[in-house]
Amino acid sequence: MTGLPSPLWSDRDSSARLTGTWRSALPAYVSPPSPCHQACPVHGEIASWIHQFAQKQTREAWLTLMENNPLPAVIGRICHHPCQEFCNRTQHDETVGICSLERFIGDRALSEGWQIVPPSTQRPEHVAIVGGGPAGLSAAYQLLRRGYRVTLYDAGAALGGLMRHGIPDYRLNKAVLEAEIQRIVDLGLEVHLNRRISGPRQLRALARKFNAVFLATGASSARHLPMLDYAAPYVIDSADFLAAVNAGKPTGAGKRVLVIGGGSAAMDVARSARRLDRGVSVLALESAEQLPAQRTEVTEAFEEGVHILTEAMMTSVAAGDALGRDGVEISCTKVLFTPAHGSVEATITPVEGSEFVLRADTIIPAIGQQVDTGCWGDLLAAEDGLIGVGPELMTSHEGIYAGGDLVSMDRFVSAAIGMGKEAALAVHARFDKAAARGRHEVAEGVPFQAINTAYHARAPRNKRSSLPVVARVDNFDEVQAALSETAALAEAQRCFSCGHCIFCDNCYYYCPDMAIRKLEQGYEVIADYCKGCGLCVQECPTGAVDMFGEGSA
Amino acid sequence: MDGKIDYRDDGLFCSGHVACGGCAEALSLRVILNTMGPDTVAVVSPSCTAVICGGHPMSSLKIPVFHTTIESAAASAAGVRRALRARGKVDTNVLCLAGDGGTYDIGIQALSSVAERNEDILYICFDNEGYMNTGGQKSSSTPRGAATGSTPDGKRTRKKNMIEIMAAHRIPYIATASPSDLNDLAAKVEKAKAMRGTRMIIVLIPCLPGWGLAEDSSVQTARLAVQSRAFPLVEITDGVHYRLQTPELCSPLADYLTSQKRYRHLDAAEMARLQADVDTDWSMLQQRAQISPA
Amino acid sequence: MKDMPGTDAPRGALRLMSGNHAVAEGARLARPEVTPVYPITPQTPILEKLTELQSAGEFVTEMLTPESEHSVMATAMTASLSGARVFTATSSQGLMLMHELLHYAAGARATIVMFNVNRTPASPWGFWPDQLDSLSQRDTGWVQLYSESPQDSLDLVIQAFRLAERVRLPVMISHDAFYVSHAVEPVDVPAQDLVDGFLPPFEAEFRLDPDIGRSIGAPVDQATWNQSRRDMAEAMGRVIAEFTRFGAQWGRLTGRVHAPLQLYRTEDAEIVFVTLGSLAGTARVAVDMLRRAGMRAGLVKLCLFRPLPAEALRSALDGVPVALVLDRNYSVGTGGVLHQELKSALHGTANATRVHGLLTGVGGVDVPVEQLVDLAQEFRERVPENGPIWIDGHGR
Repeated sequence: MTGLPSPLWSDRDSSARLTGTWRSALPAYVSPPSPCHQACPVHGEIASWIHQFAQKQTREAWLTLMENNPLPAVIGRICHHPCQEFCNRTQHDETVGICSLERFIGDRALSEGWQIVPPSTQRPEHVAIVGGGPAGLSAAYQLLRRGYRVTLYDAGAALGGLMRHGIPDYRLNKAVLEAEIQRIVDLGLEVHLNRRISGPRQLRALARKFNAVFLATGASSARHLPMLDYAAPYVIDSADFLAAVNAGKPTGAGKRVLVIGGGSAAMDVARSARRLDRGVSVLALESAEQLPAQRTEVTEAFEEGVHILTEAMMTSVAAGDALGRDGVEISCTKVLFTPAHGSVEATITPVEGSEFVLRADTIIPAIGQQVDTGCWGDLLAAEDGLIGVGPELMTSHEGIYAGGDLVSMDRFVSAAIGMGKEAALAVHARFDKAAARGRHEVAEGVPFQAINTAYHARAPRNKRSSLPVVARVDNFDEVQAALSETAALAEAQRCFSCGHCIFCDNCYYYCPDMAIRKLEQGYEVIADYCKGCGLCVQECPTGAVDMFGEGSA
Repeated sequence: MDGKIDYRDDGLFCSGHVACGGCAEALSLRVILNTMGPDTVAVVSPSCTAVICGGHPMSSLKIPVFHTTIESAAASAAGVRRALRARGKVDTNVLCLAGDGGTYDIGIQALSSVAERNEDILYICFDNEGYMNTGGQKSSSTPRGAATGSTPDGKRTRKKNMIEIMAAHRIPYIATASPSDLNDLAAKVEKAKAMRGTRMIIVLIPCLPGWGLAEDSSVQTARLAVQSRAFPLVEITDGVHYRLQTPELCSPLADYLTSQKRYRHLDAAEMARLQADVDTDWSMLQQRAQISPA
Repeated sequence: MKDMPGTDAPRGALRLMSGNHAVAEGARLARPEVTPVYPITPQTPILEKLTELQSAGEFVTEMLTPESEHSVMATAMTASLSGARVFTATSSQGLMLMHELLHYAAGARATIVMFNVNRTPASPWGFWPDQLDSLSQRDTGWVQLYSESPQDSLDLVIQAFRLAERVRLPVMISHDAFYVSHAVEPVDVPAQDLVDGFLPPFEAEFRLDPDIGRSIGAPVDQATWNQSRRDMAEAMGRVIAEFTRFGAQWGRLTGRVHAPLQLYRTEDAEIVFVTLGSLAGTARVAVDMLRRAGMRAGLVKLCLFRPLPAEALRSALDGVPVALVLDRNYSVGTGGVLHQELKSALHGTANATRVHGLLTGVGGVDVPVEQLVDLAQEFRERVPENGPIWIDGHGR
């Protein structure tokens, strides 16, 4: 023997040592819902489509959006975006401008003429939808995509419901609304306009004729203030006022308008009246912080010269004629207002000695709409002023579903769209047992702590610009401009993608044990080597990996 | 998300090594080895790295490794380099992997000599600020205030300023790096690899048991070290050109200190003193960076 | 060393040179690829001659001058494990500073050849010939050779490479400070061709090389460590035969044979000196004087100390009534190292030789020929003591 004994020289790698035996917990890839998704009334997979858009896959992003919401360009303009309120990024710097991104993508789809491809096979079931507002259109869309025959009845002369009649042009350009509605109609929707379905007999007939009925006629009658004489000439119903504005017809409002209410409708009325060169005051019970209208709406109203009197209540009205003056005299008092909270009702406490008087030519109460539950007789059970529905949105009558303002006090367009989708899915599940119910999962949303903010540099939000005030007050042009493409992409980059793997490879590279394998799309844990340290979880920028304990079993 | 990690992993660091779960040294080693590539010989001195590589007959490093004595890492690497050169293998990289004990303490003599002779090696110091492989005693790299097995009440003197010592040798390249920025680490290794002569990179390695950290927090702790400027990221070329990397996000030193058990005995006054140490060092580095000759 | 009668070996040009320069010439001829060195008295002339030869282009090597002998040995070790032929030289404190790495290098089976100039270990501080520095490294796994003269030193350096590379153990050769290191004698410097023929280039089948990919030195289990020493023992066990074979080959080439154990007039001896290093030269003259005076004296010189040529020692002393071990070293609390080694080698043999351990020349004190003659006469009939006997230094 001449050589050095080879046993001194290590001749194999360490792969035979299976360090996975050290472990007490194993990571797994998860996709918990993002808080925006949880908060979104249509549960719109927000993190997914924003990520797709951030990757410049705009059409794919739009298709993801369209899974849950057929009106992204509309919603991107008017949504009250609870998603943004719950956005994890608010704990880092500012919310992601989800709404503005939705509008950008929705607008892009319209300008590119992107269409949804109708299903190749038709189902035998035929569904009737009553009401062509957001809930009805949403339900129609979801059913059409699934191959149902759908016939829609609307009492009005055009589809859109509240979106058409209740939202002024400066918030929602009607061309956008029409284009998005048309895209739904083009899927094969049979539309019957000017067809009011009224009374239990007609509804029962529909229920017999069709396999299912979805009722979404909205909350069409105004809630009344007891101290106001609605028949008086100086009182105009807010819905009528807005409908006239939207139709370009005379409104009948005097020079000085007092709007009562603090919600979006009140702001819409006030700001529309300003655009018609009226002097406008708003009287609201809530404090400035409590106003149910969107903050932007309040700010813009203020900018436009609307006087907003908060924590104030009208106590009586005296017609001017009686006092020999013009207009009406409105006695008011300041109040302390506690909004309703859960089952606790709202309280209003007048502040003694704070009485004051306003004068106006016209009073437009905009304190909300209510449902005429009695119009269906005994056919549909009602509760608390709404049509009663079960969790599947079915009414007390088999096969009749209901949604939107009829069944909910969440008087938001997005909520209506969400209910339309839910009802459609319920109908689908009824006829297609194999269909995944696809209901909103109740899993915990991704907490802020699951996001590794080291991978998300602080960056201010890319905000939409608004028309300057001088350019707004004499017309109904859209106030909010769209984001530029650059700004939209930058904004999309701000998204944490909570709970969504963005294939960043952090888990792969931050594994000290090379126990993460890259797949074609995604990753897998190599259990033979994973020591269960959790660095992959810690360094995941989106919270898409989590540890799961392994019992001694 | 910003800055996707993009070095190429050719599998030169192999699963089945025996580093503690969650060890930042292992994942740094992974970056370094794969950036250096297969035409590399490594010399390892007794340290956590030596344990990670071992034990015979397996080796988790898929390049030739020689395990040398703790005080002679640099000299041993020089021997490999000279032999390879004599045998015509001038392009083979020689990598020296040592801990802070083997670098700041017992190995500084050999390292100084290698640097003075400008031997053609890349020296990596995995700096976990103490003798962590022997259970956590202080080294001259242990920062002031840190409790270790041999400084149970906290070390009273400051961490040795190794980069300044090395800069005084006027070697071509010195850098500090952190496992919280693997791209930066890879870029520095890549840069050093392309140079000749003695090059040194000190990588901060928050030690899970030694510093009292949760198993999943080594990277986050390193990140806090950088953000709080307790461990500045610096590049020094030819001993005189300083490039100081100002962290994009800054955090107070207290965030870094309170994340570790080794500092938990400190009161506010002591923390303030450590903050002053950090501020002094940072401003010294800033001055160096500003006056660096063109 | 003895001339081999009847060979027609070519004699190179005889040149006057010191022992240290002879070492440097031997190293040059062996063509080491890496040569790390650190200066220490009295080794320094070796270093300076090598650097001088290198700068003159007569010695092609990767020469480096680290900050310490410790780093020299670290560098030598890794260079050797990377497949290079490595030479270095040191002395005393330097050798002892290397101690840790002597174990390390031998355990890793590095094939370094190192020359050591024997010098008193401090303290007290001194520069005198004494072999305790190298003898105290006897357990490190290095083969140890001892040279008596500048010519020996040159010849042994070249043969040491052949031996080291054959058995895969590091080899240390020592000669005494000043008596050999600085003594100038005529030295036959062989031609490069002759040396190249004797010592072919070294090719290690296992080395630190990306083309091979193997690693060395990782922590092992008990059984592997145990086996590593058994393997070293096996290698050590082959040293005597290999060294004998190479010595004979070198003898055919140069006329000078270096056997592990070299005997002088021992065939019929009634008393022999046993020693190593430069004392052997003194003892050889004393033998001749004693023979002339009628005492049948002889000399047993160990050229190879590790492994100890125990079998040859037993054979050489078989039937010899008295042996005087001359130790120029002292292991405190025990005695002369060679004395201890010899006693254990002879332990249990029939008709055991009476062995006297004489501490002669410890610390470099002079040992004149006359003193050895007197000692032979004095100890011829004495009953040996177990321990060592201190011999007064001459001129004290």
